Amino acid sequence: MNDERWTENERQARELFDASVEGLDAETRSRLNRARQAAVAEVERAHRSPWRTLLPAAAAASVALLAVVLWRMPGSGVEPTARFAEPVPAAEVVEMLATGEDFDVAAEDPEFYTWLASQGLPANGAG
Amino acid sequence: MTASVSLDFTTLARLADGEPAAAEETTLESAQTLDRFLASVERRAFRIAQMAVRNRDDALDIVQGAMLRLARNYARRPSEEWKPLFYRILYNGIRDFQRRRSVRSRIFGMLPGQWADEEEAPADPFERVAADTPEPSQQLMADEAMQRLEVAVAHLPERQQQAFALRCLEGMDVAETAAAMGCSEGSVKTHYFRALQALRAKLGEVW
Repeated sequence: MNDERWTENERQARELFDASVEGLDAETRSRLNRARQAAVAEVERAHRSPWRTLLPAAAAASVALLAVVLWRMPGSGVEPTARFAEPVPAAEVVEMLATGEDFDVAAEDPEFYTWLASQGLPANGAG
Repeated sequence: MTASVSLDFTTLARLADGEPAAAEETTLESAQTLDRFLASVERRAFRIAQMAVRNRDDALDIVQGAMLRLARNYARRPSEEWKPLFYRILYNGIRDFQRRRSVRSRIFGMLPGQWADEEEAPADPFERVAADTPEPSQQLMADEAMQRLEVAVAHLPERQQQAFALRCLEGMDVAETAAAMGCSEGSVKTHYFRALQALRAKLGEVW
């Protein structure tokens, strides 16, 4: 057996094969391309683990929950319903206290309302 | 010729036969690396599969299946292992396809009349020559030479086909071919040598 001849045959076979690969039609190339993209998409999906997907949403939900808790906590600020309430004239407050109409409000901060009553504010509440 | 890789055949066989790869560090960069790898082998793998199954659509399905399986199960393996792994998966796909076709052929062969006639006839090697469009005579001669080579390769025993396709056509070295075929390097050399002998006997001096 002649090694040179075999080498030549192998080279020729390789060249024929390479030419047939280069000569693939556009549709086949396109289908191979799509198959490859589908395979790569599998890898990318695998990389997006549940934690990676859920972490931003979980963080946003936690921040929102914390904000609500802090907002609603007693003594942490103005009650939400009071934020848009009209200012109550001082005279009316004094009158309410005097008539015992709303003890719940006075009970929240009695010292404040006692001080307020002792100030002798004008009847219209201004100043 | 690609760089030689040293692979544990037992591990490779276990991996290629379906066991998911162990977790290793993975980044999206590996998706890009895999894309480049698949782009570098997809056309050659398709032609090798087409030579084995003698059908374009079946070959495309087999290559697509091999790509998906590599991506799903072995993308986290070192990229140096991908090529022999990919071809091992590809040949597993080819073997599965040929078994299914063989069973289907036997079943249809037992049926009388038109059912049996509808089953695939042996492929005519010249049927697939792209003769519809005018081509330079030199190209046509090359196509016909390739057809002769394909027919001759198709008549080789399976292991000789694999050794010839991987060593000669794909240009893998002996170690890579052995890893892809799941056998020793000595076996690769033997199969390859016999394949070359058989091809020369069939094709003569000029391929």
